[in-house]
Amino acid sequence: MTDDTNHGANRREFLKSAGILVAAAACAPGSERAEPATVARTPDTRSADFNGPQLTALAETVLPTALGAQGQREAVAAFVAWCDEYEPVAEEMHGYGYADVRYLPPDPVPAWQAQLDGLDVLAHRVHRTSFVGLGVADRSGIVAMATRTARGERLPSPLAASHIAIALLAHWASSPPAWNLALGVTVSPTTCRPLDAASRKPLPLATLPAEDSRS
Amino acid sequence: MTGATTRIDADILIVGSGITAAMMAAHLSEHSSRAITVVEAGRASTPLSARTTARARYVAYGESPWKHDHLDDQNALGTAWGFSPSMTVGGLAMHWGGVSPRYSPEDFRLQSLYGVGDDWPFTYDELDAFYQEAEERMGVAGEQGPSSLDPRGKPYPLPPLPINYNLAQLQQWAQQAGVAAWSTPSAKNSVARDGRAQCQRCDTCYPVCPTGAKYTPDWTWDALVRDKKITLLTETLVRRLVADPKSGRIVRVTGNRTDAGTIAFEIEAKTVVLAAGFVWSPHLLLLSRDAAHPNGLANRSGLVGRYLAGHRNINAYLRLPLELYPGINMQHSLVSKQFMRPARSSRYLRHDLRIWESTIGREPRLRGDDGALLLGDGMLADWQRRARGATARVRAYYDVLPDRDSKLVLDDTKTNRFGDPMPRLGFRDAPESAALKEWQESELRALFTRMAKAGGGEILRMENSANDLGQEHPAGGCRMGNDPARSVVNAWGRAHDHDNLWVAGAPTQPSASCCNGTLTFAAVGLRTAAAIAKAS
Repeated sequence: MTDDTNHGANRREFLKSAGILVAAAACAPGSERAEPATVARTPDTRSADFNGPQLTALAETVLPTALGAQGQREAVAAFVAWCDEYEPVAEEMHGYGYADVRYLPPDPVPAWQAQLDGLDVLAHRVHRTSFVGLGVADRSGIVAMATRTARGERLPSPLAASHIAIALLAHWASSPPAWNLALGVTVSPTTCRPLDAASRKPLPLATLPAEDSRS
Repeated sequence: MTGATTRIDADILIVGSGITAAMMAAHLSEHSSRAITVVEAGRASTPLSARTTARARYVAYGESPWKHDHLDDQNALGTAWGFSPSMTVGGLAMHWGGVSPRYSPEDFRLQSLYGVGDDWPFTYDELDAFYQEAEERMGVAGEQGPSSLDPRGKPYPLPPLPINYNLAQLQQWAQQAGVAAWSTPSAKNSVARDGRAQCQRCDTCYPVCPTGAKYTPDWTWDALVRDKKITLLTETLVRRLVADPKSGRIVRVTGNRTDAGTIAFEIEAKTVVLAAGFVWSPHLLLLSRDAAHPNGLANRSGLVGRYLAGHRNINAYLRLPLELYPGINMQHSLVSKQFMRPARSSRYLRHDLRIWESTIGREPRLRGDDGALLLGDGMLADWQRRARGATARVRAYYDVLPDRDSKLVLDDTKTNRFGDPMPRLGFRDAPESAALKEWQESELRALFTRMAKAGGGEILRMENSANDLGQEHPAGGCRMGNDPARSVVNAWGRAHDHDNLWVAGAPTQPSASCCNGTLTFAAVGLRTAAAIAKAS
């Protein structure tokens, strides 16, 4: 186990270092026109007190290196903010195809916090050192052991993830920048963008001028 | 129930505040000097100013963006598809997708042309002006299709939503496959209009547009209330219509407030309009049974609650040798109406066709082909490989003819807080539709397979809607017709049995075509509004 017990302070440090307080899940940095939206609820914002170094180590393990250290920090900050703003058992959308009213799951964070600690326990058992102290390859092995019962080929939504490692990865993978990275172009799905640009072939990421991205 | 009964007088009383009611109230406010009162059992939901945050939470968590939009104890049983428990100012159209095709001329003459179902008591040409009015009031952006397939008296009020990069590729593919497809008409602002923003392709039209570019009925209600053109009473549940046993006229409606006080009310109105949709309009007529009308009001024919109509679909995902980039504007699509006009000599199959970009098969994976967990760079490399290329979705709604026993009944086992039985729905195909179903669906699968092959692609998977759970874009329950023995209301929506009672929109329709129905529900309602204005 890590001796860093000031989880809440670490979480706030993440947010501060990433320059993010609460970003909308659909707000894509670098998109053509990012929305000013937040997902903030008022006034009973909760706090997910993840162990900061452990969560960072997990992010280094499950997120692509193409994000860079800063991109991984931002992904972690966005995930923590997403956890903080989750409203347990809120009403689901009940549109066409739902004759009944359904509700979202209870708060997944306590289980995810325990799973994060569990990765550390497992690392000590297998490697006699902390999860944080392992290299990425050994951490990947630990994560694979911890998620061996996760079923299905498709990456689930974060809320449906059975383990925090999958939730963190799934949260990033559902973001517009992740889709851009996968497609190699700037599409930024689910962001609000000018209608007129829809007819143009999306620009490749590598040649996207920074200013044009916000025109 | 507590407190004294509140008494209200009205000239024209409209029950319900969905999209049909909104269109009608706007029309009546311009064409009649009579006072209009609108009652809605629910209350207003999320205002425009809160929709950006509501949308963000929907995208992030799947949370409903529409707060307080239903009553827990006021729900229909027995169906899932095509129905939502929404009971709020604006109704289901607060979260509709804005897709606004017209039915085709053939829909109104099925018996005459094909020997199936029933003809409507008016033609497409007679509805054209009301279609146009509905399109003008909502602000429909559309592209004129081939005039032989897509006839209209006047141009669309707004230019079409642009064919985006992905749809342009798919349009060429469709053409290669022999399908003429064009920009789907949508009640979304392709240009800023009526104080509403231009669409920003946020791609959450369904269930919530954060900018107001998509038409929702609250725009109409807000304007009518602001200009004092109507009185809108929310949290006001009409539970009974009371008819004079001799004249048959509706002398009052009664009910209760749905807020904490549940105060009883009575409204006396010269004209009563049920614009509460295909569930709650027939439900209220059945609930209003009395000694003189033991089977409910307007029910001399025994057809109130019957002939519930809708359509089913076959849906396919295809891999095509193209390069598409999912997410440019996923909720916008191409549409074709060329299959809504089959030859008279062929077996009966009418369907629309829509084409979308798709992410199927291109999403990130948890495990690779060998079952190993995908993490980090391995996961991204796998995703990038799978994301290349193109997948598309095609879907055809096909016409299902309603049976007399496709019906809504009162279910005494489920009651609301006032003890009123809730409606139970069961859809059933007419015998000719039931006999054709297997062949119709195999024809659609064959069409999709031919389309895939024509473009050098392949079918990834096909699926059909769950037909035991209801049908889509439902209508019926108070069907219109000229013969009082075979219909509930006349060709204008006026009840055969009650001189001052009108039923509007979806419930009056004899059939539900094979495309999205909202525009037609509204146009039929506007036709009824014109008749009410003329009669007053």
